[in-house]
Amino acid sequence: MAEDVYKPGNLLTSLKRHAAAIATGLRYLLSTKRMTVRYPEFLIDLGEGYRGMIRWRRERCISCGLCAQICPAAAMKMYKLPGEKKMFPGINYQRCIFCGFCVDVCPAFALEHTPVHDLSYEELDEMIYIPERFDTEWVSPALKEGARPVKVVFDEEVGLRHEPK
Amino acid sequence: MTTGTIGRIVDFVLSPHIFAPLIYPGLLAATLVLLTLIWAERKMTAKVQLRYGPLYVLKPLGGAIQLIADAIKFMFQEPIMPRNADKWVFALAPVAMMAFTIIPFAFIPAAPGFVGVDVEYSLPLVLSLSALIPPLILATSWAANNKFTLLGGVREAFMMVAYEVSLFIAAFAVASYYGTLSLSKIVEAQSVPGIILNPIAAGVFFVTMLMTASKLPYDIVEGEQEIVAGPFTEYSGILYMLVMGASYMELYVLSLVFVELFLGGWKPVIPALASIHPAFEGISLFIKAYLVLLFAVFLRSVYARYRLDQALEIGWKKLFPLALLSVIWSLALLLVAGGA
Repeated sequence: MAEDVYKPGNLLTSLKRHAAAIATGLRYLLSTKRMTVRYPEFLIDLGEGYRGMIRWRRERCISCGLCAQICPAAAMKMYKLPGEKKMFPGINYQRCIFCGFCVDVCPAFALEHTPVHDLSYEELDEMIYIPERFDTEWVSPALKEGARPVKVVFDEEVGLRHEPK
Repeated sequence: MTTGTIGRIVDFVLSPHIFAPLIYPGLLAATLVLLTLIWAERKMTAKVQLRYGPLYVLKPLGGAIQLIADAIKFMFQEPIMPRNADKWVFALAPVAMMAFTIIPFAFIPAAPGFVGVDVEYSLPLVLSLSALIPPLILATSWAANNKFTLLGGVREAFMMVAYEVSLFIAAFAVASYYGTLSLSKIVEAQSVPGIILNPIAAGVFFVTMLMTASKLPYDIVEGEQEIVAGPFTEYSGILYMLVMGASYMELYVLSLVFVELFLGGWKPVIPALASIHPAFEGISLFIKAYLVLLFAVFLRSVYARYRLDQALEIGWKKLFPLALLSVIWSLALLLVAGGA
């Protein structure tokens, strides 16, 4: 329509506008387009570079403590392990804001982001990872239970479309 | 002897005095409407917004029993009583609200000659029973002793005076054309649906019906994004279920009245169904009312909420003159047609 600017009309024009709005709604009601990702069955593949759960590799760590120093949320802390002279980092996901400073600052590439972001915890204490637990591979629980990864594609008609990867 | 007793009990239950308020169009049918309508509302809104809506509770039917799951959840939720609330009013007002939405079912004729209590003035009786709910909403908002409930209550007070007048005048415009205030006589007299005879009254009645049940675009009283849940902010558990159910029940009552006034009520009657039970003749009334309900809740996905002042302006400056015009229209029709 040419009239982009709203002008209040009389009773008949406003009736026509209401009818047009309801017709638009009905058109959407009858179409079969959907944009939702049905999450536990499908999982958006976020690819490399997504700032999800942080992976720590013990064999690369030089115990410099830079990650604990730079952490703006005080989520990263250095822990003393029994029988070790050096200290190693542990992370508290109650505090972590996933800013990625620790990953950027690490001189030995011992920390890296993974695309895993859909974990949940039953107890708050489970969210604190001391160095023994920190050195693990992150797996998305949805993927573990057989979710199919999908990739997001921009679509002229629907907006977003999800194609199997 | 036992068969006699059982037969008497069955006859008692199947008699209109019990069947109409309890089974159809009353409590049982209303519960069914409540459970399916809210699900349908959520599904339709989701469809328009390119979503799925409730899906995982009974997946083959698209989450059809989601509302049963919700109801069970509300049942077992802890009902919290605010410390500073007026406890008796807080607890009893939702119950009274539900009661005032159920009592009209005794007076709404459900099928030809099938009504719980046959009164000559069923139309004003049903409308005035549903008009008793806004004062109860005010009572809950005052009793909960919370700023959000009070704001919601003040909004309800403003809205109430804006819509009730137009609702009653639009209904009486139809009644004045047929010369009777009895719903069953209005339906019997309707050879042409009332919506064709008096479209202005139908439009006014439909819009004020949405306002009465505070459905979008007129859910100003509850205004979820603005004042939490309006007068119902402090409610939880089974009391919350009652106050939410009451607004849908009110919509159901008013849509039954709408169908009887404007869409020909239980016509066309299917005589084959009468042999099962006389109430089954009202099946087309139920289907029409359900379609009206579906349309009313579908509007949620089309419109955004009006502001309070806009709604008041619509109520007083648009709907009220239109309602008066519909009375004049009815009287003019009477003059032209020389009586129904």
